[in-house]
Amino acid sequence: MNLNRRSFLTTTAASAAALALLPRASVFAQGTPAVNEDLTGKVIYWSTYNTVSPEYQVLTEQVIPGFNARYPNVEIDAQAIPDTDMRQKLLTAAAGGETPDLARMDIVQVPEFAELGALAAVDDLIPDFAAYAERFYPGPLATNTFQGKHYGIPLDTNTRVIFYNIALFEEAGIAAPPTTFEEFQAAIDQIMALGKDGVTAYSEGGTGAWNMLPWLWSNGGGITNEDYTAATGVLNGEATVGAVEMIKGWLDKGVMSETILGGGLATSQELAEGSVAMIVDGPWMPAIFAAQYPDFEFGLSPFPAGPGGSISVVGGENTVLFEASENKEAALAFAMYLADPESQLAMAATGQMPVLTELTSSTEVPDYFPTFLTQLETAQPRTPSPAWPKIDEAVSDAIYQVVTGELDAQTALDDAAAAIDELLAQYQ
Amino acid sequence: MQLSNSQLPVTPAVAAPGAHRKKRSRFRQYLPAYLFILPGTLLFLVWTLYPLLDAFRMSFYEWNLIKPSKFIGLDNYRRALTDDVFWMAFRNTLYYVLITVPGQMILGLAIALLLDGPLRARAVYRTIYYIPVVTSWVVVSLIFTFLFNSQAGMVNWLLNDALGLVDENIRWLRDPTMARIVIAILGIWKGVGWTMVIFLAGLQSIPQSLHEAAAVDGAGPWQRMRDVTLPLIRNTTLFIMVILTIGAFQVFISVYVMTQGKPLHRTDVVLTYMYSNAFEFLDLGYGSAIAYLLAGLVFALSIVQIRVLKRQVDY
Repeated sequence: MNLNRRSFLTTTAASAAALALLPRASVFAQGTPAVNEDLTGKVIYWSTYNTVSPEYQVLTEQVIPGFNARYPNVEIDAQAIPDTDMRQKLLTAAAGGETPDLARMDIVQVPEFAELGALAAVDDLIPDFAAYAERFYPGPLATNTFQGKHYGIPLDTNTRVIFYNIALFEEAGIAAPPTTFEEFQAAIDQIMALGKDGVTAYSEGGTGAWNMLPWLWSNGGGITNEDYTAATGVLNGEATVGAVEMIKGWLDKGVMSETILGGGLATSQELAEGSVAMIVDGPWMPAIFAAQYPDFEFGLSPFPAGPGGSISVVGGENTVLFEASENKEAALAFAMYLADPESQLAMAATGQMPVLTELTSSTEVPDYFPTFLTQLETAQPRTPSPAWPKIDEAVSDAIYQVVTGELDAQTALDDAAAAIDELLAQYQ
Repeated sequence: MQLSNSQLPVTPAVAAPGAHRKKRSRFRQYLPAYLFILPGTLLFLVWTLYPLLDAFRMSFYEWNLIKPSKFIGLDNYRRALTDDVFWMAFRNTLYYVLITVPGQMILGLAIALLLDGPLRARAVYRTIYYIPVVTSWVVVSLIFTFLFNSQAGMVNWLLNDALGLVDENIRWLRDPTMARIVIAILGIWKGVGWTMVIFLAGLQSIPQSLHEAAAVDGAGPWQRMRDVTLPLIRNTTLFIMVILTIGAFQVFISVYVMTQGKPLHRTDVVLTYMYSNAFEFLDLGYGSAIAYLLAGLVFALSIVQIRVLKRQVDY
């Protein structure tokens, strides 16, 4: 190891400072973690945290020093790569064999990079992985799987729940947020009964899978079967067709904002400005509302339950380890530390949701987390496939053509299902 | 470019004594010049020519970033020519060329004629018309995205709420026809300053005496325009046409920022479709083939246009 005296001193000083700053750290650590001095070297970590964000601040001022308290001889080089550039930069790096050791990767990208052969399977690296993996919510964990192996460790998660405009709900006399499809329809009717010009009951940001899946799943449908091998029979099944027709019906009747067609506003803006009563959005929104619409009052409620239950979609990031890494052991130690309760809680304060079931009832997380955490217990991942960008496009295009009235739901979804079957077959 | 005969080195059948030395001294004479162009040439070779050639090679492969790529001959080209979406993107590009090239030329000439005359604060107007040309494509595309937002844009507000010309908000950036119009308006607005400047240069090269002579002969303003001005700026006009046509076929940033080809690639142009294939779906071989199809077309068109341009006019 080529750690010179100065960097050793700064690391030690930083760790000491971090320990002083983090009196609660020891509370959450399971016993006193052993200090491992055997692991050495440098680990390059690419995150998509903006360098001026609270996330980056906590990462560099709490998480990395916390890690160094346990592994004093490992140096973490955290590099902030802009979110929009991450996929392309990683692809370029992977093609040139010059990847970082670790990256914080959007969950939908993991299968694509695993298929390229860029990622290391963690099942082979972590002893008794099955037991280790039990601590995670099943949804986020499943986003790491590709062809039977895990190519990452869950890092953070999110899902979409109902956000409602409290003022509009009160005005319409809606006593409680809707918990079922029937109540959702009743809420729509009550909002529309207000007869307010320019106000619609519900808004959705587009026809892509991220937006549509909660409706498809909760209605008992979806995109593919459970083992992700075929779309025919599911995407063009009765339940999915029914869900898509329900959404088209709302748009046709004018109870749903035309935002779903694109080229207009953001749903969150409509909700906060009172032109829409309900949207479905993620845990990052409360902080944004607080900053941009400080007077806006909103409520949170789980996604309404249909015949298939209340099933929302899982978003988030995983920590992935690259096959080209020359310091896999140290890199893995940091990846596992990022999934440790200590760093998970530190990041939770910034709005990043933990992936550990043991933290579900923690009082240390922001007060708007419980709705999302409850939702996560049943939330499902999008189809883990290297062909995901194309699958998403096929779903999005089909539903767009249905809601605009160009094709009937059955025809559009039959075609999309056949196209997706072909895409899935390419990787089996 | 072709060298004229006098510049070609003379190579006699039997080398005359001293010919070798002559060659060397010529090399020595030009050495500083070669050294000066060396850095630029190297940069061109590494960053332009090499990627160009490599992309050409890629277009014959099913290209994989990490795993070995598979040679598939002309399959990518065949696929493009039978791909409905490619042709849709090509039609959109063609519309853009057919609207924006004449649009920029007619408006640019009109403004140049106005600014060529005795007008107060000419320099101010010239600057104003030129500002869009030097503004970033991304910035103006974003501004247009806001202006033409279907629910909160100023254009719909004007047409619907203020003037009542339409009953419903127009979905500018999602309706393929409307999107074509918006993208073309942006292209014309942004380019007209450049055509104006070039036309102005052409207009000012016309000897004043010709206008005067025509006026003495009794030609009215319209006749002078048709028989004196337009024939004499013919070379300028052709030059502008060639440059604008090449540029218009390469329309990319405005479409990428304003519509991303949505919905269903219906607003895609050739280069945005190339981009989404190459960089979104990582089908780099197919993307390269599309890029080369467009390059081939533009190259052929340019040769035709330059042939026409080469004919000299005398006056």
